[in-house]
Amino acid sequence: MSDKAIQLIDVNKYYGQFHALKNINLEVAEGERVVICGQSGSGKSTTIRCINRLERHNDGKIIVEGIELTDDIDALDEVRREVGMVFQRFNLFPHLTVLENCALPQIRARGTSRVNAEKMGLRQLDRMKIADQACKFADELSGGQQQRVAIARALCMEPRIMLFDEPTSALDPEMIGEVLECMVNLAEDGMTMICVTHEMGFARSVADRVVFMAAGRIIEQAPPTAFFENPQAEETQVFLKQIINH
Amino acid sequence: MTAVIAPPQIETTYLGWAKRRLFASPGDTVLTLIFGGAMIWFFQFLLDWAVVNATWAEGGKELCREVSGACWSVIGARGRLIFFGLYPYEEHWRSTFACLLIIATMVLSCVPWFWSMKRLPVLWLSGFGAFVVLMYGGIFGLKVVTTEQWGGLSLTVFIFCAVVVIGMPLAIGLALARRSKLPVVRLVAGSIIDLFRSLPLLTILFTAAVVVPLTVPDWAQGNKLGRVVVAFALFFACYQAEIIRAGMQAIPDGQEEAAAALGMKYGSRIFDILLPQAFRNSLPSTINQFVITFKETSIVTIIGFFEIMASANAAVGTGEWTAQYIEVYFFVGFVYFLFVFGLSRYGAYLERRARLSNVR
Repeated sequence: MSDKAIQLIDVNKYYGQFHALKNINLEVAEGERVVICGQSGSGKSTTIRCINRLERHNDGKIIVEGIELTDDIDALDEVRREVGMVFQRFNLFPHLTVLENCALPQIRARGTSRVNAEKMGLRQLDRMKIADQACKFADELSGGQQQRVAIARALCMEPRIMLFDEPTSALDPEMIGEVLECMVNLAEDGMTMICVTHEMGFARSVADRVVFMAAGRIIEQAPPTAFFENPQAEETQVFLKQIINH
Repeated sequence: MTAVIAPPQIETTYLGWAKRRLFASPGDTVLTLIFGGAMIWFFQFLLDWAVVNATWAEGGKELCREVSGACWSVIGARGRLIFFGLYPYEEHWRSTFACLLIIATMVLSCVPWFWSMKRLPVLWLSGFGAFVVLMYGGIFGLKVVTTEQWGGLSLTVFIFCAVVVIGMPLAIGLALARRSKLPVVRLVAGSIIDLFRSLPLLTILFTAAVVVPLTVPDWAQGNKLGRVVVAFALFFACYQAEIIRAGMQAIPDGQEEAAAALGMKYGSRIFDILLPQAFRNSLPSTINQFVITFKETSIVTIIGFFEIMASANAAVGTGEWTAQYIEVYFFVGFVYFLFVFGLSRYGAYLERRARLSNVR
């Protein structure tokens, strides 16, 4: 087993004529926490959505836990079993209760029995400190609670990698803290994480490495101290100035 | 300091309600009196005709000369014809049981416990199978009654149920095919839907009943009722497919993405995540489509089937009871109303239920 959880090698992605990702090269080691930042439209969401193939890359290689992503459905299933994802808009299933949201994917994707799936669901909900809401429906919960359920739901599949696509961007400010706290706990447990976020405080305290993207390219990557204290590229400096002054 | 404002007082008595809703202004008062008067007159008239001045006595039509109101004796005399059509007299009990059986199946499938991909098909296949065995016979010592002799209410209910049971899975298939990523599949589904929607139902049924026997080899024809039901189901499916597709379009992309990211396979994404939400979104239109289909079953009269409307026509067409056509149509209208009203009440219950589980 290699110690590389994810490798992207010369990845290109087009939307019609639009060149969304340009020669992306990125490696993430097991247990590493990577934060990707950049302006909207810079390709950061597209990058992580390629990792579990919600988007197909047109060119280059993506290898996740030793499995290359191709049109092979079995390989894709295997990758998706290893990779959990949390979305900006939570995407809880509104016709199911919180607990069913956690249990059903295990039953369907892994053939877990209902009893065990619910046990696992309650355990992960408890880890996200939201087990008391298990019998409610998603739209009875606040945004912060919904996002914590979404994280618990992803964790139920026991992934080795977690992808976060702007997990706090759709939240009211007073709820961002509770979600970030859960993510910090997760990081402390040694989970491999890639997180697209504008939360620079989170990047500074949790990330092993910060990647900055602009116009579909990776401009710069460095450990957080170096990245924030001593940014090299001009785009990075401009971006950081905007973030800090806003 | 802010003053505390008392909530507005609302009269909750009947008198207060009437004052607010019916007699708030002189204009309101005039309208209330006019429409109130008209309603009282109408219901008085109806009551006089249907109950006060009516007779239920059994016997011939000479009874009708003695009353000024409705002569319900016709229902007693011709009721069997209306309910059973040409079905053999001594076998009417089979038609009755078959009809009750299919109604029971309909009622059971309204119970949420049956809403699973396993239970619902089992329920309908057994209900339907039992219906056909009872109606057609040929086993358990039951005399064979061919579909040409089926008629009346049980034929109406049979056509409706068969159309929905065959049409619903077809509709789901067409809706899924129309949003497929494969262009050929999408195109074929789209063409079928557009073709059948642009043809009148009558033309389609005529083709199935009359043209198909001329063009298709014998072994592939099936019987006439079967062909008509399948054609009707196809027509139903094309409308229902678009209703389901509209319900699917209202679901955010994130739902399917989340399911995919969790490793759920295509079938599970469709049947566990998308379709339940699509049906919920399209509930009012779906109930509407059911109601329309139930009433449209009367069209099969024209191609020679004796469903309830045709047998009602036959009941007053023999000369003896010709004058009582109003009573007979009134009665048949009431039977339709019972079914359709039941359907729409059930639809209202489902909507309330969906809302409850969403926002409770």
